[in-house]
Amino acid sequence: MPDADTLIQHYLEGTLTHAEAEELHTQLQNEPQLGSKLLQHFEMDAMLRSTKPLAVPGKLIQPALIPRHRFTFGTVTTVAAVAACIALAGAWLLLSLPKPTTEDTTASVAVLTRGVNLEWESAAIAPGTPLSPGLLKLKSGIAQIEFYQGARLLIEGPAEFQLISSGEAACTHGKLSVNVPPQAKGFRINTPKGTIVDLGTEFGLDVSDESAEVHVFKGEVELHKAAESMKSLKEGQAMAFAAESQMLEANLSNFASLSDLDSRTALSDRTQLDRWRFASDQLNADSALKLHFNFQDDDSSRSLQNHATHGEDGSIVGASWTTGRWPGKGALEFRNVSDRVRLSAPNEVKALTMAMWVRINGLDRAFNSLFMSEGWGDRKIHWQITREGRIRLGIAGAAGKGHQDCDTEVFFTPERFGRWMHLTVVFDPQTKEVRHYANGSLLAKIALKDAAPLKPGVAELGNWNDRRSIGNGIAIRHLSGTMDEFALWDRVLGEAEIQAMAR
Amino acid sequence: MNIAETHAAQVFLVHHDFVKGVALKYAPWPGLMEDVTQQVFLEFMAKESQWDLSMDARPLLATMTRHIAMRLWRERTRQQPDVVQKLADHIRQLAEEREMPPRYEDEVRVLRTCLQKLPQKSRELVELYYYNDVSTPQIAEQIQMKADTVCRALSRVREKLRECIEQNLNRGGRAHA
Repeated sequence: MPDADTLIQHYLEGTLTHAEAEELHTQLQNEPQLGSKLLQHFEMDAMLRSTKPLAVPGKLIQPALIPRHRFTFGTVTTVAAVAACIALAGAWLLLSLPKPTTEDTTASVAVLTRGVNLEWESAAIAPGTPLSPGLLKLKSGIAQIEFYQGARLLIEGPAEFQLISSGEAACTHGKLSVNVPPQAKGFRINTPKGTIVDLGTEFGLDVSDESAEVHVFKGEVELHKAAESMKSLKEGQAMAFAAESQMLEANLSNFASLSDLDSRTALSDRTQLDRWRFASDQLNADSALKLHFNFQDDDSSRSLQNHATHGEDGSIVGASWTTGRWPGKGALEFRNVSDRVRLSAPNEVKALTMAMWVRINGLDRAFNSLFMSEGWGDRKIHWQITREGRIRLGIAGAAGKGHQDCDTEVFFTPERFGRWMHLTVVFDPQTKEVRHYANGSLLAKIALKDAAPLKPGVAELGNWNDRRSIGNGIAIRHLSGTMDEFALWDRVLGEAEIQAMAR
Repeated sequence: MNIAETHAAQVFLVHHDFVKGVALKYAPWPGLMEDVTQQVFLEFMAKESQWDLSMDARPLLATMTRHIAMRLWRERTRQQPDVVQKLADHIRQLAEEREMPPRYEDEVRVLRTCLQKLPQKSRELVELYYYNDVSTPQIAEQIQMKADTVCRALSRVREKLRECIEQNLNRGGRAHA
């Protein structure tokens, strides 16, 4: 006879046999706690069924649980062996499922698409960051958040805001402007004073400790308040709902609009570009700076000007010009197997720092090049991102000695794709370590086996040349992403310098 | 729909999850909750002119739901063999004797967050069974496991979700709590 869990499952599925029904009944009579367990499973089962439309809108799952090759001799024997082990060990199913082709997943329900002068009380987030359910505390600035079901919100700091799902949020204080297209109809915002359900519209919400005001600019919203009947608000209407509700006239000027955001974004971008120009020019005075490409060349140019005092320009192959971190900032996009920038780095350096602004689109290759010396061997270096998302400085051994891979933990997950990142790697012979930084923060310190000088020499940004001028089987290591600044020094940069560049 | 009917429908929708919670208590039979909720909606709308919708609709909806749930539960279980009827009676008695008030509204809201926290394999199992309507024997066949093992796995997933919901509700997980 099946165990209690299986009997309960059969009850939920409606597949109990007569004998099983009798057995379950007997067990329920003899074990009072089983009744409580059954009811809990029954309620959870009902709730799970009711979440179906919201949890997977329009998504037909073809899960990776199903093995691809089921009936070759090898797999049959393997499965038999695995099944035998499972029978013996009673292993938990979910740990012993056949290894599927791994598919990345995300818990995110929205994305921070734009922001101006953002200061966070909660963990700082930058535009382009996917957002999972949780609390956001915005100290100042305007943030634009787009929910995956289509609703778009402008939040003005100070505000406290919680993401609940792709169709629901809560606001405990602060001002919001909400745009809900027809696809996102039913979008809900909970406040301490009640819940607003949007029927496809534009409205503003101002939540304070005393009250919550809803101003409808277009369409219609529903207000739901505990122990009160639902109220409907139409275009031009507003309502303050506190202990007592009060009708008002909608006041559009009280809330941030998209055009406000556009103009403030443009101003902010301009300020940041000016600041960057100043800081970037300052870098060039450093005699240890050997390469500095700021990507501000003419967009018809096929060479990259090296702004370091001495050193050669780079040569663009394939890669095309695009916009960088701000309008007015140039960048190169690497997409194809041929795209690269050829350059001449110093032939030998005792210490080294490389820094780059890059936006990764995806990790298509086993090794995705940031900066790679031509060929491999004799202290050459390969700065790259592995397919699983680790940032790596590979250092080839001298005179037949083994190489060393200096890796971070997995950093580039899909949530980080499409966002500008400042990456730095430091080769420090004094402390005998390699240090990786992302956006000014230390990611990893790796002890060096060999602190002998490095020999970068001729190298490529965004690709790798294995030194053969002709032949098949040349490994493909091109980058899929955009780069808008690169610099190389033959000295160790301190954390303060790195953080200043990443700001 | 006229304006009054639209208003009545909106009132019902506000309390939709509340109705489901009451239905679960009085009709603990698989798949019956949705039928009860649908029937309550139809009967609520049919008599909408009788209701004073400026008052809290919950007491009215609770009474309606209780009557309809018991009626549909009787109709459904009456068709079952004796041995199953006895089991169903026992389970309904357990449900009615429970002192805990229905918390369906709060729990289903938190459940959506908890689902996102499940490990990938568990989510896939939920999606297969609950959202794609693949039965436990079919899942077992696809992954070459015993059906009982799949049943136990689903049981564990539900228990994990229950733990997650309890944790969230106990610490005031709702954003505006």
